[in-house]
Amino acid sequence: MTMSLKGMRSSRRQFLVGGATLLAAPYVLKGKALAAGQVIVRTPGGVYDEIMRKNVYDPFTEATGITVVPVAATVAKLLAMFESGNVELDLIDTGEGPLIQLERKGALTPIDYGSWKLSKPENITEEYKSEFRVTDFAYATVLAYNTDTFKGDAHPDNWPDFWDAEKFPGPRMLADMATGTPNLEFALIADGVALKDLYPLDVDRAFKSLSRIRPAITRFWDTGALSAQLMTDAEVVTGSIWNGRLQAVMDKGAPLSFTWNQHMLQLQQVAIFKDSPNVAEAQQLIDFMMQPSVQAGYGAALRYSPSNTKAFDLIDPKIVEQMPGNPATRDKAFVQNVAWWEDNRDAINKRWSSWILG
Amino acid sequence: MPLGRLSQWLLLAPALALLSALFLVPIVWFIAGSLASLGGASEIWGETQRTLGSTAIVKTILNTNVIALTVTLFALLLGYPMSFALSRLKGAAFTLVLVCIVLPYFTSIIVRTYAWMVLLGRRGIVNDMLLSLGLIDQPLALLYNRTGVIIGMTYVLLPYMVLTLYAAMKAVDMRLLQAAEGMGARPFEVFRRVFLPLTMHGVLAGCLIVFILAIGYFITPALMGGPSDMMMAMLIEREIELSQNWPAAALMTIVLLAITLALYSIYSRFNDQSGAEGF
Repeated sequence: MTMSLKGMRSSRRQFLVGGATLLAAPYVLKGKALAAGQVIVRTPGGVYDEIMRKNVYDPFTEATGITVVPVAATVAKLLAMFESGNVELDLIDTGEGPLIQLERKGALTPIDYGSWKLSKPENITEEYKSEFRVTDFAYATVLAYNTDTFKGDAHPDNWPDFWDAEKFPGPRMLADMATGTPNLEFALIADGVALKDLYPLDVDRAFKSLSRIRPAITRFWDTGALSAQLMTDAEVVTGSIWNGRLQAVMDKGAPLSFTWNQHMLQLQQVAIFKDSPNVAEAQQLIDFMMQPSVQAGYGAALRYSPSNTKAFDLIDPKIVEQMPGNPATRDKAFVQNVAWWEDNRDAINKRWSSWILG
Repeated sequence: MPLGRLSQWLLLAPALALLSALFLVPIVWFIAGSLASLGGASEIWGETQRTLGSTAIVKTILNTNVIALTVTLFALLLGYPMSFALSRLKGAAFTLVLVCIVLPYFTSIIVRTYAWMVLLGRRGIVNDMLLSLGLIDQPLALLYNRTGVIIGMTYVLLPYMVLTLYAAMKAVDMRLLQAAEGMGARPFEVFRRVFLPLTMHGVLAGCLIVFILAIGYFITPALMGGPSDMMMAMLIEREIELSQNWPAAALMTIVLLAITLALYSIYSRFNDQSGAEGF
């Protein structure tokens, strides 16, 4: 909450210093991680790290001699580090939302577009870059379904269909509050709101709509891994899911498919922590990451859409079709208004807790 | 030879120092710091009313207690006969059973919880078996609901119950049971009037320790529960991660800590009594 962070900063600082020191212990213990010639990156972890290591971190180390150390950290942990003046991380690779949160607290350093040597700032899609944040890729939340359950064309094809549990029976899933942005948008679309009229979200109407489908929801997923698992294990037969996570299990042969209708575009971004120990190296890593060839590598592997427009030419057109933001599907999408979520998350979190327990 | 009071404290000192440095100091710091960041007493009182008065927390406290109580009951029902059998076993059989009970401790709780998810899923092993045997024709809902939480938590907490009961049962003098039989008591009467009363302090201690551990649970209900199976620890985590509302999280922590300490004080009373018999 913002209120506790203002005014009483000094006492809060003091008590957070101790906490953050404990949190930072693993990095301090690594010792070398703090030495020059390293960049410590916050990443989402798991398969994502492997793909980034292969396509970004290892080639970067080879080219520059700078080692990349991926670590896990939540927004709360990052904020605690910042509040305590104990920043042990350089680059933050996460969703647009958490980065806006950090930016509003003054925790970020401007991205030095002028210093780029390998990438050209003008090639990055205009809406995807700002003073403090630059997008590494765009991803989408799509409507997925099980093709064993829904054969041929008889599958839910949009959010009103998803909400129709009589026509398309079976257990379902949607995103939980723990993801930061539960699927209020889809609840409103199902209730008849047009994509262009979504924001500001009518929260009352969204929760009323959610209550209607609630009995058919087995589980609200809080992580990408869980959503993929629920779909693969057929614990649910339809649900909202990130397109890259879904594509990964579809490629392994799971009987799943999805529609691009009414999908939500979201951004994954990188930013540099203010007062970080390795700002220069972090700036270099961003420059490296934004190259068309590098973006083509991890973009194709993740099935997420590069922010550098020149990267598309280097990717197999069949794979581009599976990426969000391509010309064929772009008009079926809406872009998530992350700033709205940052302004309203506290209130919605409270509302969600009472609703989910009601 | 009884230890002097001073040497007792000296022996305890390293453990006390470690606990204070790693647990007591951080938690007091966290609670005091979070609340102080609100301002004065009236602001703290206001936040307390807002946080503890919300329907979400009232329902979560209720949920947490109902889940912990159910788990304790199932652990007792399963654990009592198990402990009895264990207390009568000797030699290799005893070691084998004990290893089976204790071994899961060496496995990560997340791994064990995932194992249950494989077993209990809609297309999990249990449902597959029941379906192929024709006992059911629709998969049972065993996961992502209250049933899943109870099964998972009972499994994880059962060893605490078994080991506590075992200690109490092992201490029972078997000649007392023989004497009761010799005086003509039927087996059920021997159990009800001799064995059960003699192991009652173990039952209470076991129930308290399982209940105390259960009310603070996080991983199992978070992974195996349904949308409304929210427990206290999960709500605290959300306040910090999503709202960065440290004061609210601190207040919820105080509630959880108070319940735990109250129960622990009862537990330690029973433990003192049973311990006293040994000396």
